[in-house]
Amino acid sequence: MPTQEEKAQDEMLVRDMKAGQMEAFDKIFELYQRKIYALAFNMTRNQMDAQDVTQEVLLTIYRKIDTFQGKSAFSSWVYRITLNATYMKLRTKKKEQYVSLDEGLPNFNHAGFQNEKVSDWSKSTDSLLFSNETKGIIEKAVELLPEKEKVVFILRDVEGLSTEKVGDILDLTIPAVKSRLHRARLFLRKKLSNYFDEYQTRSSKK
Amino acid sequence: MICCKECIDLLCDYFEGTLDPDTAASLEDHFKDCPPCVSFLETYRQTSDLCRKTLTPVEIPEPVQIKLRDFVKNHIQSR
Ligand SMILES: [Zn+2]
Repeated sequence: MPTQEEKAQDEMLVRDMKAGQMEAFDKIFELYQRKIYALAFNMTRNQMDAQDVTQEVLLTIYRKIDTFQGKSAFSSWVYRITLNATYMKLRTKKKEQYVSLDEGLPNFNHAGFQNEKVSDWSKSTDSLLFSNETKGIIEKAVELLPEKEKVVFILRDVEGLSTEKVGDILDLTIPAVKSRLHRARLFLRKKLSNYFDEYQTRSSKK
Repeated sequence: MICCKECIDLLCDYFEGTLDPDTAASLEDHFKDCPPCVSFLETYRQTSDLCRKTLTPVEIPEPVQIKLRDFVKNHIQSR
């Protein structure tokens, strides 16, 4: 969440930029390029695409700053432009994958109770955390998420924005943000569980 | 007692701290007697942590930084 000072600084920069001061744009460039690139990269997993998106967003900020009315935070506006450019990019190459997110839930009996063992791998991830294999598994699992869930998960859990901020950026209600976030987490949890279970079986056989 | 399915449906709100106190208390009661749900809760939370640690921070690679600076110089500042 941007602090009050960050918000005030953004507002000042926008005002200066509208008044035609190039230094204000330079400052916005410095402040936002990493955020724009990171979001685009996490959405596309492709350096070239993330670079293209970042360039496009910078150009849009410059050209469209006069249309920014300050109804929401400047940072939300920048995130929205970034996502639009990212979607355009994905659309040119993506064959839409269909994944069922239902598989994220455990098995319940008729009364709604879990009827099988759930392995707790949460304490044993340290040694695995920085292995390339784990990294690859996580990247692939996130990539499999449908776009709607993926964008919420990346903004909220990866970039660490607040639920309110994500709602503001995507124009979603808080419950809608939470329900997408929850579905994404369940799906990813299941993928990670499968991986860690398999990993444990593999290492116990050695 | 609320069932496991209800608990799992409420996990997101539970971690956001937005459940009303009564519901949060009944969730915690359930966890006391239900090891599978505790495992589920721990791994649910760990999933977010693990993904964040794996996918951040994204730094802009040096060659891309140079390209971006050139782009700004050529397409924006020169106007
Ligand atoms: Zn339970």
